[in-house]
Amino acid sequence: MDTSAAWKAQYPIKEPGNLSPRIEWLRNYYFRGLERPWNNEFTSWGTGEPWDVQYDETTFYIVPETYAFFSTLRASFIQAAQPVELHEDFWSWSLPERKAWFIKEVMVNHLPQEILPGDLIAGARFNIQASKCWTREETAQRDKLMYGRKGARSKLKWFYNRGYGNAGATSGHIIPGYEKALRIGWKGIHANLQAAFDALTQKEQKTRKGAQIRAMMTAATMPRELAAKYASLCRDMAEKEDNPERKTELYNIAGNLDRVPWEPATTFWEAVQALWLTHMLVMSDENYPGPGVSFGRMDQYLLPYWEHSLSSGMDRESGKEILKCFWVHANYAYDALIRMGDNQGITAGYGQLINISGMGKDGRDMTNDLTYAILEVIDEMSPILEPKPNVRLHRGSPDQLLDRVVDMISTSQGSPFLLNFDERSMAGMMREAKRAGCENLINKDNVHDYASVGCLENTMVGNDRSGTVDNNLNLLKAVELTLTGGKDLIPAVDPITGKQEKIGQDGPATGDPATFKSWGEFWEAYSRQTAYIISKCVDLYEATESVRARYCPTPYLSCLVKGCAENGLDVTQGGAELNFTTLEGVTFATTVDSLLAIKYLVFDKKECSMEELVRALRDNWTGHEVLQAKAKNRAPKYGRDDDAADDMGMKAMDLWTDEAWKHKTLSTNRQFRPGMLSWNYWIGSGYIMAASADGRPKGQFLSNAICPSNGTDTNGPTANINSVGKVLGGKAGKGNGDWGEYLNSLPNGSSHTITLNPSLLRDPEHREKFKAFLRGYTENGGTSLQINILDAGMLKDAQSHPEDYRTLLVRITGYNAYFTTIGRELQDEIIARESHGCY
Amino acid sequence: MRSLPVKATDVIKTGMAKNNSSSAATILEIQRLSTEDGPGIRTTIFFKGCPLRCTWCQNPESISIRPQLQWTETACIGCGTCIDVCPENALTSGAEGITIDRHLCTSCEMCSRECPSAAMKMLGRAWNLEELIAEAIKDRVYFEKSGGGITLSGGDPAMQANFAALLLKSLKEEGIHTALDTSGQCAQDVLGALLPHVDMVLYDIKEIDPDRHREFTGVSNEKILDNLVYLCRYMETHETPADLWIRTPVIPGATAYEENIRGIGRFIASRLGNSVSRWELCSFNNLCSSKYERLDMDWPFKDRPLMSRECMENFAGCARGSGVDPDIVHWSGPTKMEVGNK
Repeated sequence: MDTSAAWKAQYPIKEPGNLSPRIEWLRNYYFRGLERPWNNEFTSWGTGEPWDVQYDETTFYIVPETYAFFSTLRASFIQAAQPVELHEDFWSWSLPERKAWFIKEVMVNHLPQEILPGDLIAGARFNIQASKCWTREETAQRDKLMYGRKGARSKLKWFYNRGYGNAGATSGHIIPGYEKALRIGWKGIHANLQAAFDALTQKEQKTRKGAQIRAMMTAATMPRELAAKYASLCRDMAEKEDNPERKTELYNIAGNLDRVPWEPATTFWEAVQALWLTHMLVMSDENYPGPGVSFGRMDQYLLPYWEHSLSSGMDRESGKEILKCFWVHANYAYDALIRMGDNQGITAGYGQLINISGMGKDGRDMTNDLTYAILEVIDEMSPILEPKPNVRLHRGSPDQLLDRVVDMISTSQGSPFLLNFDERSMAGMMREAKRAGCENLINKDNVHDYASVGCLENTMVGNDRSGTVDNNLNLLKAVELTLTGGKDLIPAVDPITGKQEKIGQDGPATGDPATFKSWGEFWEAYSRQTAYIISKCVDLYEATESVRARYCPTPYLSCLVKGCAENGLDVTQGGAELNFTTLEGVTFATTVDSLLAIKYLVFDKKECSMEELVRALRDNWTGHEVLQAKAKNRAPKYGRDDDAADDMGMKAMDLWTDEAWKHKTLSTNRQFRPGMLSWNYWIGSGYIMAASADGRPKGQFLSNAICPSNGTDTNGPTANINSVGKVLGGKAGKGNGDWGEYLNSLPNGSSHTITLNPSLLRDPEHREKFKAFLRGYTENGGTSLQINILDAGMLKDAQSHPEDYRTLLVRITGYNAYFTTIGRELQDEIIARESHGCY
Repeated sequence: MRSLPVKATDVIKTGMAKNNSSSAATILEIQRLSTEDGPGIRTTIFFKGCPLRCTWCQNPESISIRPQLQWTETACIGCGTCIDVCPENALTSGAEGITIDRHLCTSCEMCSRECPSAAMKMLGRAWNLEELIAEAIKDRVYFEKSGGGITLSGGDPAMQANFAALLLKSLKEEGIHTALDTSGQCAQDVLGALLPHVDMVLYDIKEIDPDRHREFTGVSNEKILDNLVYLCRYMETHETPADLWIRTPVIPGATAYEENIRGIGRFIASRLGNSVSRWELCSFNNLCSSKYERLDMDWPFKDRPLMSRECMENFAGCARGSGVDPDIVHWSGPTKMEVGNK
């Protein structure tokens, strides 16, 4: 039998279900992508001045794939910009006031308003590239800071091309105060701003502080005026509508818009409408569609409206129908660059994250009917990318919720949501409060209110910008520099010109490691190099952060972040009550495994000298295959629940996280905090970074986030999980942890992915075991888990690249075998079995 | 390649060698997140050494009580270190990779210690009690959350009974649920010494006919069935073991015929009282054929197809109609794939 043909034909892809004709049409229409006559791609808007600029590259400094396009994108948006007629006083205003006015003018009076057929929520187009509203002088000054010889861009390229990683002040990645916006309406927000302004002295009103609050007041009227436009559009459409049901719907939408988001929401429909408009305008304000602008605990703050509407006669399915429309809207973020790339702008999930379920005060479980309704919506709409769901679990999570979660995992290709684990996450937030001295804002009475941004990055809500993706540092670089006494092991190459750059003494001169007599000396040098790479990252970040703070205010978003009005500072200037920026440690396992291998090969077993090892790495292991095999197979590894190896992991973790806490941004006084999210950097940087002592050649992937290196977790998923929990700090005695007995040195959280065999979920008996597995993760694991289910695609890849999958275990009803060690015929059969769900 | 075919008839001159040590045991593997060897999430400790020679054996590397050398082609980098260090010249390199002359090899472990890529590997090693317990209870939290625990399997733990008894006792003292997976081919007092520390027993009845049992496993089933009856009497008068699962491998050309299944069922119903809480028919599995190749062993079942689903359903039907409580009958294992008929 030709298994590959059968595979294509039979592979059971998850299908959406229980969709009304309305939702089915809206969902299908969305997925028609470029064929759609309507879309939400970026439109560009300008002042008409010759120096005008729209595109801000700093927000993409963390996306290396875009580096080559910066100048092109800047030029194209300038060229495409439609001029907006400016207010006669425009150039006399402060920059934040210009910005607030301009965005509002574009959104209300220039960008077309539309309602898609059958849609129950208004607010369609929001992707814009708007003028930065700079004067000629501001443009020149800012460009000098960016593109001068020591400017941000050249710092970035230096940093990236040498394999340190990347950093940049990035938009999004925040949970705005949506709950409050629904509760008091924009009217309330505006009134508060007015009060803050009135509280200023007349002198202060004339300063930057006064200007900032005035700008925010302008921004705060944008939702009201846009809602009015949509309301009148709905009424026009209703008048022309023949279908009486649709006519009524359109009048109802108009009625909603008459009230919200200006007035407080009363019904569920109003609340979802208000939430969407408020949210989409954040993306307009930042010119940044989606990534990380997250909703927080939606099943908690929408619950009063949900219950109110249910008790006043809303049918539960109608409530879900409103949510499904909201789901479709969130996906239009991807339209921004719909003509770029080969998947119509849809790349990875953008991460407009929602949290559901989780702990409340006193350890109470907060799962409710809306939690389940949202899970139903996810299940019925999936596969769909946005909004990205993250289910919070804890010791007290009810069985019913776990049943639902496990059920959804077993019927999808991998988990349709991330899982967040409250106890470990809250321990991290408590650690943050202590280390940053903000226990008044994060403490045992409110830490359960935390929520996740983007994927799994934990922050507080409505008052917290933690720059969760802003600094991505390859921790492995410090090992490389230790092996060379502070110089690159191999010359950096400019990816555009292909030119090799000269090797210099970049890091501290920690000496020739061949002269080190003990592991202790090596560790000492490694510690200094770690301090150095972190300070280098902080320096690059400062270059972008200081420019953003001066030139890129986002007054609308600032209205939704507590502290900005009070401090009279934009959120980009450190206005939020909680101001962090997160240093994401990338390549953790590769780093730990490299340290373990150096200790094992050179110091403990004396399998080779330090010179030999360094030579092998310079030669990319070519001609040193035996040593490489020893590094790979003989040296201990993180991720096997081996206490000695995991102890090295913990020491490396303590070292770099302690270093991170030592830094703050100079321009905005934001405290650095540690986290471990690797996005896709572990792939790209693998081609830049030299070979590493764990046996990895240049060109092979690095390790991802907090996960053990690919294929090293030979003791299976539970051992892998235990190792992850241990390097985060594990547990202390009762009450001696950061939260309860839990310790956690990563307040941001840590991304952890494991791949499981589908046979673990094959029947009710095994699904019970899997529930217990998740409860075990709550005790021993990290902050967050993505579960992938082994599928035919991965097995086929393992057939072609057996070297990457040496420990891939397949289980066929309890019988285990290492996939790559069995014959081709049996492999084919197993692939075919997985494809058909016959495990 | 040199091969040492396993014949049930050469019983069992070497295999009966037991390990009477209570301080160390030869353990093949410790498998975590086991979901098939008893209730909940378990860690299964595979002992080396088995008194039976089942021709269909799924774990040929567990038959011998001694550590065994294995070479894995996909892991080998071809450096030749093993050949250089072998003091017996038992290793040669050829078109098919490394060949082990198992008559010359003395299991001195030089090659496996020096192999940089772990392609040359000893299956099984000695563990002392303390280190084994420390390793085995690392998943305690998963046991607690799932109602799982630790299963002693193999091979047959009864081949290293003194150690197994101490291990079980220590685990019970740790408050861990214990399961014993045994062939039952041992002296009654050996079994009796293990049972006080066992919460549940997994026990095979492979074949009800004593002659056929001898033909396929090398021994008659007499002692096995006697011990099983003894076990059930023991359970009736003691609090633990509280659970007994019977497993029957359904092997085409051997145990897979209706009269066998019915006969086993009648035996369970008439002789074992209410002690059996689960009777599982396990379908023939061919995944292990590459293990035989790596151990230079011939396997008479290597070309056998899997059972069909209908066939397994049919046997399960026979089992349910054999006089046992039908609710205790389960079947598991792979079956022939039928495309589009999940």
